[in-house]
Amino acid sequence: MEIFLNVIVPILIVAVLSALFAFCLSYLGDKFTVERDPRIDDIERNLSGANCGGCGYAGCSQFAEALFKGEADISRCNPTSAENKKNIAKILGMSAADSVETVAVVHCAGGNRAADKYDYQGFGDCQSAQILAGGSKACEYGCMGMCTCVHSCPNGSAHICKDTGAAEVARETCISCGACVAACPKKLIGRIPKTARVYIACSNTTKGREVTSVCKVGCIACGKCEKTCPKGAIALSNNLAAIDYSKCIGCMKCAAECPRKCIVPIGDGVKLYEKILAAKKLAAEKAKTETK
Amino acid sequence: MDYFVGIISIVISGILTNNIVLNQSIGICPFLGVSKKTQSAVGMGLAVTFVITVASCVCWALYTFVLDPLSIGYLSTIVFILVIASLVQMLDIVLKKLSPALYGSLGVYLALITTNCAVLGTANSVISQGLDFFQTLMTGVSIGIGFTLALILMAGIREKQELYDVPRPFVGFPLALITAGIMAMAFYGFAGLSFT
Repeated sequence: MEIFLNVIVPILIVAVLSALFAFCLSYLGDKFTVERDPRIDDIERNLSGANCGGCGYAGCSQFAEALFKGEADISRCNPTSAENKKNIAKILGMSAADSVETVAVVHCAGGNRAADKYDYQGFGDCQSAQILAGGSKACEYGCMGMCTCVHSCPNGSAHICKDTGAAEVARETCISCGACVAACPKKLIGRIPKTARVYIACSNTTKGREVTSVCKVGCIACGKCEKTCPKGAIALSNNLAAIDYSKCIGCMKCAAECPRKCIVPIGDGVKLYEKILAAKKLAAEKAKTETK
Repeated sequence: MDYFVGIISIVISGILTNNIVLNQSIGICPFLGVSKKTQSAVGMGLAVTFVITVASCVCWALYTFVLDPLSIGYLSTIVFILVIASLVQMLDIVLKKLSPALYGSLGVYLALITTNCAVLGTANSVISQGLDFFQTLMTGVSIGIGFTLALILMAGIREKQELYDVPRPFVGFPLALITAGIMAMAFYGFAGLSFT
C-alpha cells in the first residue's frame, strides 16, 4: 500500500497533468488554427533563405507573404537563383521577367592614391567622417576606407583592398543585397550586371584639372573611352564616363585605352584585359626595334 | 491593515529591492540577449510579465490543491516546468489567432520565455514563502515589472553605448557584463527600503 502511494500516485499525477495539458494544447491548436495558404510556404521554399533583408522586408518569410499578396516584386530579391524565381512566378501565375543578376561594385579605386584632406582620428566610421568637413579625402567623391560598407555586409563580401586602401566587393560571394549601397555615405557603391566585364572606378563629377589635383586614378573625362568604344556603350556625362551595359560587348578596349586606369576589368574581363595589354606591349616593342 | 502593508512590501521588493535580474541574478539570459533595442526590450518585458503572472498563479494552485495534499511536493519542479512550457505554447497559439500584430512583435521572444528561469524561479519562491493566492498574483506582476524595468534600463544604456568609442577588447558582451554589474550595484541602493 505504501509503495502504491509513494510510486504510483506521483506517476499518475504527472501523467494526468501531462494529458490534461496535451488535451488543452491540441484543443486550442485546433480551435485557433490560422489558415495560411500553402502557396506561401511553396514560395518561401523557393527563396534563397539568406534572410539578408535586401528586399526591404524582415526576412524571406515576410517577403514570401508580400509576394503572395502582390505587394512586392520578385526582382527585389537577388540571392535567389533565376530558376527558383521562375518557379515562384509559376506559383504566382505570372510570367517571370528575366531579371538580371547583379553584383555590387565600388565606384572608386582611389584609396591611398587619392590625397587626404585631414588625418581623421575620431570614431572610425565613414558616416562620422563624412559629417566632418565632407570626409577625410580631398576628393569629395573618394572612398575613405573606414569600413561602413564592410560592417553592413551580411556575409563579409565587402572589404578594404590591401593594395589601394579603398573598399572592394568580392564578386564571388556578393549576393547583391544592397546593404552596402545604402550604407555608403558617399553613395559610391552601385550594382552592375554580373556579366559585366568593366566598370568605372570613379564617381568624381568635377572637371579633369580638379580631379588630377586630388587623385592619381580619377576619371578626368578625357573622352578616349567614348571614342574607342566600337558599340557606343560609353558616354561622358557630367564629367564622368558611364557605361551602358545593354550595349557593352566586353571587348575591353576602353579599359586598355584609359590613361587613368579608372575603367577597371572585372570578372571575365580580367584575363582578356591582360591579354590585350600583353599584345599592346609586344606591338610597342616591335615598333621600337623596327625604328632602330 | 498588516495584510495591505504586506502587499505593498511585496510589490516594492519585486520591482526594486529584490529585482529578479539585478539582485537575484535570475533570468540573465534574456537580460543580456534581448537588451540591444529598447523596443524589443519592452516587448520581451511585457511577454515575460504576463507569463510570470499566469504561470505562478497556476503553479500555486497546482501545488496547494494537488501536490501538497498528496505530500508529493518534491515533484514541484517537473510539474512547474510542464505548466510553464504548456502555458507559453498556449499563449503562442492564442495570440497568433487573436492578435497577429502583437504576435508579430513578440514573435521569437514568446518561445524564448519557455526556458526563462525567471518564470520557474518566481513559481518556486512563491511556494517556498507560503504565500496566499492574491499575494502570489501580486508577486508575479511585480517581479514581471521589475524584470521589464531592468531590461528597458539596460537596453537604453546599451543603445547609447553603441555610439561610444569603446576599447576593442570591451566591445560587445564584456561591456554589457560590466554594465550589468554596475547596474546591480546601483540597485543595492534600494536594499534598505522596507515597510515591515
